[in-house]
Amino acid sequence: MAAPPARLAAEQAPVDGPLVALRDVDFSYDERPVLRRISFALRAGEFVGIVGPNGSGKSTLIDLIDGIHQPVSGEVLVKDLPTRRYRRRDMAKEVALVPQNFDLDFDLDVREVVEMGAYCRGKDPAASGDPEQMLARLGVADLASRRFSELSGGEKQLVVLAQALMQQAPLLLLDEPASALDVSHQLRLFDLLKELNADGLTVLCILHDLNLALHYFDKLLVLSDGEVAAFGPPDEVLRPEILDAVYGVRAYLHRHAGRTYLTFSPRLRGERRGRVHVVCGGGTGAGLMRELVDAGYEVTAGVLNALDTDEETGRELGLSMAVEAPFSPVGDEAHAENLELMRAADLVLVSAVPVSHGNARNVEAAHEALVSGKPVWVDEGVRVSDFAGVVGGLADAGAQFFAGEEALLAAVRGRGAPSDGRAPLVGEATVRAAAAPGGPGETPNGPGDTK
Amino acid sequence: MTKLARTGTWPGILLAGGILAACLALGLALGPVSLSLSQLWHLVTAGPVQGDLENAIFWQIRMPRVLVAALVGAALAVAGVILQDLFLNPLTDPYVTGVSSGAALGATIGIVLHLSNLPWVTVLAIVGGLGTLVVVWMAARRRGRIDIFVLLLAGVTISYLASAVVTVLMIKANEDMTAIIYWLMGSFSGRGWPDVRVALVTIPFMVVPLFFTREMDILLQGEKRALELGVEVERTKRLLLVTAGVLTALAVSVSGIIAFVGLVIPHIVRLLIGPGHRGLLPVSLLAGASLMVLADLLSRTVISPNEIPVGVVTTFIGAPLFVYLLRRGRRV
Repeated sequence: MAAPPARLAAEQAPVDGPLVALRDVDFSYDERPVLRRISFALRAGEFVGIVGPNGSGKSTLIDLIDGIHQPVSGEVLVKDLPTRRYRRRDMAKEVALVPQNFDLDFDLDVREVVEMGAYCRGKDPAASGDPEQMLARLGVADLASRRFSELSGGEKQLVVLAQALMQQAPLLLLDEPASALDVSHQLRLFDLLKELNADGLTVLCILHDLNLALHYFDKLLVLSDGEVAAFGPPDEVLRPEILDAVYGVRAYLHRHAGRTYLTFSPRLRGERRGRVHVVCGGGTGAGLMRELVDAGYEVTAGVLNALDTDEETGRELGLSMAVEAPFSPVGDEAHAENLELMRAADLVLVSAVPVSHGNARNVEAAHEALVSGKPVWVDEGVRVSDFAGVVGGLADAGAQFFAGEEALLAAVRGRGAPSDGRAPLVGEATVRAAAAPGGPGETPNGPGDTK
Repeated sequence: MTKLARTGTWPGILLAGGILAACLALGLALGPVSLSLSQLWHLVTAGPVQGDLENAIFWQIRMPRVLVAALVGAALAVAGVILQDLFLNPLTDPYVTGVSSGAALGATIGIVLHLSNLPWVTVLAIVGGLGTLVVVWMAARRRGRIDIFVLLLAGVTISYLASAVVTVLMIKANEDMTAIIYWLMGSFSGRGWPDVRVALVTIPFMVVPLFFTREMDILLQGEKRALELGVEVERTKRLLLVTAGVLTALAVSVSGIIAFVGLVIPHIVRLLIGPGHRGLLPVSLLAGASLMVLADLLSRTVISPNEIPVGVVTTFIGAPLFVYLLRRGRRV
């Protein structure tokens, strides 16, 4: 906080319209279209992230805003003036850009590199600012006399940021500034950007990490295949259905310690491989459910108590489940619902769940399904903590038993393979990791805890 | 060892200026007839005098020769700095643009046609050099932008083409072969005041880049970054390319093709004072002039009355110096 805020956002003359506006912008490299019908506006003081898959046109978009490229059609306005009307030096006074790749094969001092940023401000030292002060502002004053080529990736990133800030432009564009940084430098960088934003700098930043995007930015612009897929507050924009459409992945929202996190798994395109119902609880079925979903099965589960680890996992995965109130034995309604789900399934799995009188009805339901001709496959582990003595009945009725979750999954995949010939998506390693001890009770490290 | 650069550029420039002054004095004083410092001073202050043999040797032979050498050395060094930084390629020298080969072709045509040594051979060399620059320039132009890599490739290609034509001409004009070979090897032998007048034209072209040192520094980060930081890249690039081309054409037209100065002087200076152009350009200019004057002095004195081609001498001085500095450790 050494430098006065005015320094960073100097010459930020009040503008009636938005700082940046794109109107129906099309852009192509040679004949290959890169951006289509892009329209959005950026107001002074906003803190906006751009996300989207590789090749979706993110870098091209910020190059357009900086006037490096001109749109094929449509208009890019900076402070109400089309970018083509700017001379480069005047553009540099309005828009600063931190490039993704930056290297310098020549042996310049950090001070010299940072000072280059003041080029657009002319030769007057009073107007151009002090490179050392800028480095101090970013907390790296000690780098000033080092050689740029000897710095680490994180240090280089901060030096290039300092160079861009020397332009004293009201708008800062960043192209994946965090991609070369370790987690601590990433957080430091985004905290810094947040501070600069609080001092009046408008920030537009490309990034790949959707969790960082979710936590740091006021607004996100989602680009997909050269078009704006969504633009708005992160929690409205990073919804699983949008991420599915844009990235082709299954996204799950988790709440943890008051914050929302996203996790992802690959999505299978095309038809489902079959429907599997899982009888589980206490975290014994979380790994099974996730693996089966990832492998392309439609998964149902029940009966689970609300707030149970498996119930939470199922909710994150978006499964249909028969659910009972927390800490209550399975009631009639839930039981009926469970039977319904089992009838709709092609296969019923029973995890190594501890069975007591509270959930014995689930095993009875599986028994019923088995009798009605539905295949029921059971994890051997379920016998270990069968406090209700109901598992024996399943064995007598002809249920197949497997030695653990891994064997169970292998059998399921083996069953699915011949019918559609598709190689299983789930590798051995992931199966083994997911099949970590799913013993009785709520083990904190159980497969259900996939945070 | 980089202290020179960090304490400002003036100490480096003054030191290089002092060295050049010393080299000029040596170049003017030494030769078949050697002069003492006081004699030298006397001759310089007296100016050209009719009927005095010593004065005539000094003013009609030695002075123009030393001045041409200094100007050619300076021009090649400045062109070398510009081109190495524009191409971002350490192996670039003023001759990769094809300008020198074009000039050589022009000169060869002049020799074969038996046009008198001056001004026609020089004029044809300049025309050949600048003509090549125009051709290479057209080849590298894409949608109003100069593609620097196409320029490099076109330059190298044209060099080969021009050399091939020169070879054919040499074989056809058997009796002129020696004259052509001597011209191609480069020499300051017999250069007089008309050559000085041509070489003096380089001075404004050496001054122009001094006004663009900041832009040249920024261009070290690549063209795109320079655009982002507010440099009018295309305009700057064009101006610098034309400047380097004209400098090379003028230098080659009066001296032939002298190797190594344009390649190595920028590197040596960069190793000594760093890549910032505020120091690099003027110090390279002075160092290029010094090296060339010194090399010419050695070329005409070591096996006097015969001469060693000056390009051989520049290589003999420059190469060990360059290797020594590289070993001392700074990256190029």
